[in-house]
Amino acid sequence: VKELVLAAAAIVGLVGVAFAQSAPQIIQTRQANYKQMGAAMKGINEQIRADAPDVAITRRNSAVLLHFAPQVLTWFPRGTGPEAGVRTRALPQIWTDRAGFRRAGALLLVAARNLDAAARSGDIARIRAAAPQVSHACSNCHDSYRAEEH
Amino acid sequence: LSVAPGPRRIRIWDLPTRLFHWAIVLLIPALWWTHQIDRLDLHLILGEIMLGLILFRIFWGLFGSSTARFLGFVRGPAAVLRYLRGKGEAAPGHNPIGGWNVMVMLLLIATEIGLGLFVSDEDGLNEGPLAHLISYDSARILAHRHETLFYILLGFIALHIAAILFYAIVKRDNLVVPLVTGSRPGEGEGMRPAPLWRFLAAAGLAVALTLWIALIL
Repeated sequence: VKELVLAAAAIVGLVGVAFAQSAPQIIQTRQANYKQMGAAMKGINEQIRADAPDVAITRRNSAVLLHFAPQVLTWFPRGTGPEAGVRTRALPQIWTDRAGFRRAGALLLVAARNLDAAARSGDIARIRAAAPQVSHACSNCHDSYRAEEH
Repeated sequence: LSVAPGPRRIRIWDLPTRLFHWAIVLLIPALWWTHQIDRLDLHLILGEIMLGLILFRIFWGLFGSSTARFLGFVRGPAAVLRYLRGKGEAAPGHNPIGGWNVMVMLLLIATEIGLGLFVSDEDGLNEGPLAHLISYDSARILAHRHETLFYILLGFIALHIAAILFYAIVKRDNLVVPLVTGSRPGEGEGMRPAPLWRFLAAAGLAVALTLWIALIL
């Protein structure tokens, strides 16, 4: 019973935090997270292009991606699109095509898991095969659900 | 029946300088377009070709034909003012304003290419050949500089084209045809061409440096 009460309190607390965050704050956090993912991808892509990839650098960056990949779908609550009144390139399709957006998110999660497993194995051939799948998952989602930069 | 002698022509631009110019004319829109359609892989290759061309032009400006050399056409403010007052001395090649036009264009394109070497896209998927030497945040700042400088370059290209039109319409001096044929009507001494080995040296150095930057660094 005590555990149940604690769990309920934790859920109420989390929901409260979620609601306490304003749409601009959510967008700002989301963008900061994506920048970290971009930086991680830069690190990984540089290693797979190198003649002698550094597995430790790859592993550090694949862990960043695996940290964020399961969260991505939670970064887009309703009200955090262009209607929020701050600069965001999140397209309305995220909310109108929920199923497609979820598929794109799932594709990223699978790719990030594979890459992280490859990085932890230290097998460079596996890393080189897995990294482009993550790149593809990024572009796949951005092509449909992110506006152009200009 | 006698054939009337045509107007005398003198050579002013050598083939490498002409090819360089028109290659740039093609490459700038191609670089813009490959970025527009998000083909950063092609943008990178074209940028590296541009790097090679700019390096070649710098070497050619040091030891190429007489009209391609920086020391031959970079003139001080007194010469520029004399030219603007219409009292400039005639010489084959760039006039004092044209010389500075070349230097500004070269500097802008070289800087644009130099920035491009270090640029990364926001997703960390594509980057210049030297971006691995700097952080993601730095590479993103330079990406924005790379973009801003492109618009400045466009402004100078507009000015460049306006000047060519001014010469064609007001001064009745066609600058484009000589840049295709290499010669223009005129008397006196023309360009002193550089021997082939100098071209091979400039091209070889440019290719070697480009490959070193693109593949080894």
